[in-house]
Amino acid sequence: MGQNLGDVISIMAVGMVTVFVILWLVVIIGNVIIRITNKYFPGVETVKTQRTQTSEMSSSGKIAAIVAAVDIVTNGKGQIAKITKV
Amino acid sequence: MQDIFSRLFEMTALGDITFKTVIMWVIAFVLLYLGIKKKYEPLLLVPIGFGVLLANFPGANMGIVPSDFVELDAGRYKNLFEIAHDYGIMNYLYYSLIKTGFLPPIIFMGVGALTDFGPMLRNLRLAFFGAAAQIGIFTVMIAAIYMGFTTKEAASLGIIGGADGPTAIYTTIMLAPHLLGPIAIAAYSYMALVPVIIPLVAKTLMNKKEFTISMKEMDKKYPPKHQIKNLKTVKIVFPIALGTVVAILVPSSVPLLGMLLFGNLVKEIGTSTSRLSEAATGPIMNTATIFLGLAVGATMTSDVFLTPKTLGIVVGGFIAFAISISGGILAVKVYNIFSQKKINPLVGATGLSAVPMASRVANELALKYDPKNHILQYCMASNISGVIGSAVAAGVLISLV
Repeated sequence: MGQNLGDVISIMAVGMVTVFVILWLVVIIGNVIIRITNKYFPGVETVKTQRTQTSEMSSSGKIAAIVAAVDIVTNGKGQIAKITKV
Repeated sequence: MQDIFSRLFEMTALGDITFKTVIMWVIAFVLLYLGIKKKYEPLLLVPIGFGVLLANFPGANMGIVPSDFVELDAGRYKNLFEIAHDYGIMNYLYYSLIKTGFLPPIIFMGVGALTDFGPMLRNLRLAFFGAAAQIGIFTVMIAAIYMGFTTKEAASLGIIGGADGPTAIYTTIMLAPHLLGPIAIAAYSYMALVPVIIPLVAKTLMNKKEFTISMKEMDKKYPPKHQIKNLKTVKIVFPIALGTVVAILVPSSVPLLGMLLFGNLVKEIGTSTSRLSEAATGPIMNTATIFLGLAVGATMTSDVFLTPKTLGIVVGGFIAFAISISGGILAVKVYNIFSQKKINPLVGATGLSAVPMASRVANELALKYDPKNHILQYCMASNISGVIGSAVAAGVLISLV
């Protein structure tokens, strides 16, 4: 029992340290990836493009709602080319 | 004539029904009631409940037999045909899909394809609280040793505190397969009771001021250093990079974490792999869930389940859950002492897995104290890191115990 308990306490120490180290690495890896992509692959600012295409619609909230609805209905496959008032 | 009636009676199971059989039926009915009527984790509790029922129909040959029954000499085992022939199809399913550790990683692949790492990537520092909330696993492991469990059994009991069903099942298969039934039931029951357990622990440890800490206000006061300019690319690279690093450091966690990250990758790639993602979250995950639930339920024969150890697992599992939630809350409180940018301790409470229910519960709790205080996306950050944390903890236990 005493020997067992000693072993389990060491497992607890090693286990918690390992979990903290891995999640610390998650933070480090995440930050590194974000910095590299921000620097070398900043991406296209899609929101601006959509706004110029839909200049007749003033409310960004409405656009966001339409984008979200299309995203959900098409499982992320659909893209909005143009939004016009009917 | 009497002979015919006697043979007819022998054909039925009436003569084999014992008091223990009836108790197991009642347990199965309760599980089915909780799953169907109360909607507590119905996708798992209904197959598990029905599996319990199947296993305890006398003469049906559906209960899982101990591994000694299929073991031959010199560490060799009967082949699957022999197992099916001797002990029925449920043992065939159990020894091919569960005992091999096949199904939990398959379910993890589906979980990965349903998981969005976005909230965690936007709030990376909150990932640490997913680590703090694993303390219940190891604390209850020590308590279980005092209660008379062996080290392997104690580790399997402790992993309930990770609040992750597939992880609990996988660890138990590896360390103490004879306890699989009660541990799976305890893990999924407490996950279903997250809406009760989190408020209970949070109200014990937190004051009103802490409940009303607004994460959005804090973000406005102290904005994050780096905004993500290309989230899609980050989300694609992240599972590949993380999987590689974790595989090097904790290889025993790879069956779970590797499949989780693969599932997530095929989801994040988008249209070109959407068929894989749909398969992982749909037919594959659903099929795996059915077989996992039925086979786990079928391990709960009266001889295995009606023992004092089951009571220990039920009590120990609850304590593991509560300590994990407390660990997360207390870690945030300690952090708040040293940091100007305060964090709502409810974010720490979601550091155990149970995604996304724990986050939803924490968010609703915060809204009760301040109807404008939406903390869901922050809770999801520590909640998702909790999935990684519990898989790593399981890897450590499997390696060291």
